[in-house]
Amino acid sequence: MSAVTSPAAMPAVPQPVRSPGYWSGVFRRFRKDKVAVGAGIVVLLIILMAVFADYVAPADPTRSSMLRRLRPIGTPGYPLGADELGRDMLSRLIHGARLSLFMGVVPVFIAFGFGSLIGVAAGFFGGKFNTITMRTVDIFYAFPSVLLAIALSGALGAGVFNSLLSLTIVFIPPIARIAESVTTQVRSMDYVEAARASGAGSGTIIRVHVLGNVLGPIFVYATSLISVSMILASGLSFLGLGTKPPTPEWGLMLNTLRTAIYVQPWVAALPGVAIFITSISFNLLSDGLRSAMDVKG
Amino acid sequence: MTTPLVAMENVTVRFKGAQTVHAVNGVSLTLEPGKVLGILGESGSGKSVTLKTLLRLLPESRTEIGGKVMVDGKDVLALGPQELSDYRGAVTSMIFQDPALALDPVYTVGEQIAEAIVRHEKLSAKQAMARALELLELVRIPSPERRLKAYPHEMSGGMRQRAMIALALAARPKLLLADEPTTALDATVQIQILLLLRQLQRDLGMGVIFVTHDIGVAVEVSDRLAVMYAGQIVETGTVRELLRDPRHPYTRGLLAANLHGAKKGERLEAIPGAPPPLNEAPSSCSFAPRCKQAQDICRANLPPAVALGEGRLVRCVQAEAALQPA
Amino acid sequence: MSLSLHAEDGLDRGGAGTPLLEARTLTKHFPLGRGAVVRAVDGVDFTVMKGETLGVVGESGCGKSTTARVVMQLIPQDEGQMLFDGEAVGSSALSLKDYRRQAQMVFQDSFASLNPRLTIEDSIAFGPMVHGVPKSGAILRARDLLARVGLDPARFAARYPHELSGGQRQRVNIARALALGPRLVILDEAVSALDKSVEAQVLNLLMDLREEFGLTYIFISHDLNVVRFISDRVMVMYLGEVVEIGPVEELYDDPRHPYTKALLSAMPSMDPDNRTMEAPLAGDPPNPINPPEGCRFHPRCPQAQTICSKAKPALTPVGAGQRLAACHMEIPGSGHSRAPALEDAA
Repeated sequence: MSAVTSPAAMPAVPQPVRSPGYWSGVFRRFRKDKVAVGAGIVVLLIILMAVFADYVAPADPTRSSMLRRLRPIGTPGYPLGADELGRDMLSRLIHGARLSLFMGVVPVFIAFGFGSLIGVAAGFFGGKFNTITMRTVDIFYAFPSVLLAIALSGALGAGVFNSLLSLTIVFIPPIARIAESVTTQVRSMDYVEAARASGAGSGTIIRVHVLGNVLGPIFVYATSLISVSMILASGLSFLGLGTKPPTPEWGLMLNTLRTAIYVQPWVAALPGVAIFITSISFNLLSDGLRSAMDVKG
Repeated sequence: MTTPLVAMENVTVRFKGAQTVHAVNGVSLTLEPGKVLGILGESGSGKSVTLKTLLRLLPESRTEIGGKVMVDGKDVLALGPQELSDYRGAVTSMIFQDPALALDPVYTVGEQIAEAIVRHEKLSAKQAMARALELLELVRIPSPERRLKAYPHEMSGGMRQRAMIALALAARPKLLLADEPTTALDATVQIQILLLLRQLQRDLGMGVIFVTHDIGVAVEVSDRLAVMYAGQIVETGTVRELLRDPRHPYTRGLLAANLHGAKKGERLEAIPGAPPPLNEAPSSCSFAPRCKQAQDICRANLPPAVALGEGRLVRCVQAEAALQPA
Repeated sequence: MSLSLHAEDGLDRGGAGTPLLEARTLTKHFPLGRGAVVRAVDGVDFTVMKGETLGVVGESGCGKSTTARVVMQLIPQDEGQMLFDGEAVGSSALSLKDYRRQAQMVFQDSFASLNPRLTIEDSIAFGPMVHGVPKSGAILRARDLLARVGLDPARFAARYPHELSGGQRQRVNIARALALGPRLVILDEAVSALDKSVEAQVLNLLMDLREEFGLTYIFISHDLNVVRFISDRVMVMYLGEVVEIGPVEELYDDPRHPYTKALLSAMPSMDPDNRTMEAPLAGDPPNPINPPEGCRFHPRCPQAQTICSKAKPALTPVGAGQRLAACHMEIPGSGHSRAPALEDAA
């Protein structure tokens, strides 16, 4: 290209000092936030617990015993008691984390991909395309998420895959809306105009200038949906639309222990406590991420 | 000699936080009643912070204010909550760059002015509204009866600025603080507002402190000027003295940068560099790093405030030297 | 070795002293719905000669920024045409992408015009890379340009925009605009947000670059002192139209259009013994939605007469002939009592 002198003709310029990047700044600010760091550690522990459930759990989560039904917390050999079929609660909670986390993270992750795609495209191209896409999204968004999840799962039939599918569909609209609004903001920035003025096509502008600035905020929003997804998934299982017994899953456990609420209230509440701790940890983590990222530049 | 309306003595303002910011570092100034002082400075010079100190508008929990601030015989820094709310508006009031921040969007202009009047005077709602109408006439808003019932968003930029001035004058203050009130306005509107402020000041006999970054604007309205740099006043004097015989190198640089009478095509005598960070209190001349005439002594000690006459101070070791070409 | 920003391959067709940019009846309207239309730019004609600086002044709503964006083709015009060095922009002879290599823009907000996630050198290298320069070459070139605009590449190249001051960021934006080796640079209030002392530094830089690279500037500003200092010719806009255009000193010393006069006399006097005593105009500039008939300035004009509300005055040569003004008082036989008499056709 003739307009540019060849690199060989350039005077030698010393290698510039690397400045700490944006993400290292985010990490530095995040580290100072004690609550968020604590929540992060809890989330990490739960994930490790789920991954290594086979080694961590003291007993087989599906081995029942008619003799040891509904043991209270602290029973020797059953540190967190036993459920209505005499299965070890601790082991069931540990193994249940697998499916509960899976149902919390995976639908949100898939919806993050599709929602971002829809929202970024609608926000960047604007005009009629935006109107048509976003009004379609709004139709789904208009249904309460619980109702939509139940309706979809009911129509598709029970099972892990179908609840996964219905949860994903539930989460695409909110993520698409956030993606669209963040993209619309970024699109009107002068640096996008400047990029266009230098002759760059839409694809290049989206890749270099838009995605880097919108994916962070969209991702943070998505992480705040993980807790919702976990609770919805538990709800579906509770209603019998999700996991089938005897697979341990926190929502399903809550359902089957429901009848024991007067006999062993503390044991019956344990899956709820697990859901609560996990979802609040995800929420605090995402709050911390957001405030760590929410600094100019 | 009359007692001054405003007397600030060695005022310091520090903002605490992750990093301490030394926003104002030993400002002393006086203002006689009925006079206009222009404070000239660039962003971060501490000019707005100085102004807000006079109304105690800075967030108390994060701000450390030292020194003494006397307005109309009152020790402003020692006022209790009730005294402070009596003081604000009635003795001292303020106009801002953005009227949208000073005017409430959900009340009509008339309601807001009347409310400000009733806060300080025992008047019926009807009497207060009549006074509000007088005030709108005073700031020359066309068809004031109609504007009394208008909401801020229904007015143009210049009109909103006039309404904000009327609001500030509601309780007949003795001191009006103006924080860049014309910066956001178009040129032909700016001059209207400047002329209005000049006339109101004369007619009502108010003292005015006018903060701006624009020398031209300061010259139009002020009797005296104070030039601020890095939280300190570096030069004071009458407008004439500062314009005709600027002594501080920073003042000279600012005058050159205004481009008034600059020769076309010639390079400008630009001040190099940028203002210093304010994370510690100055121990030497803050301007020295950008100053062409800086000597070792400038980088070692705080420069003396050299008095060149009544009310004429220059904070520079070379203040008394003959004016050299900048 | 100096940077060769310009191609040696004969991009300059017409030679020196010919127009670089000719804008013909540029028009841009923004419909607001319910019949209301913002006539942001309404039939604007102007020419920018090679190597000159055209200043553009006017108050909010006069259309100067919209004009800049149309010239940059960031928004398409509704009507009108632009010729760049004799070729129609967007034609087969001069594609939009080729035009954009030769015309660049610097924006007012130095922060918003840099991608916060990219290092300075990546931002500058972006344009050349779009036009096919390999990354390593583009980065080297970016560092060279940084040095040229007064920022030490070793210190600044790998930094992020938020670590720089406003003046430094604006230098980066200028370097970015120059990275493609443009011939025309549009500066849209490019120094307005800077502090005065920093503004002077950037103006010096702009003058140096203009000389070194033979650049042509369109300099948009509300600061009449700055425009006078840097421009060769000035265009005054009011409500989407050009009211006066001509050589800077002539126009400042002897403004012919009443609006130009008002704008100039609204400037602070800088003389404590001779302060401004009267505001030249009352009220705010009207907004460009459904502007008045005839001359758009007539409702605020002290010399307005019946003709002014009826007929739109065309740009007419005034003064020494280099200048045009759109005022009935300058049009022979217009019907305004102050208009010069019609000369008999000899």
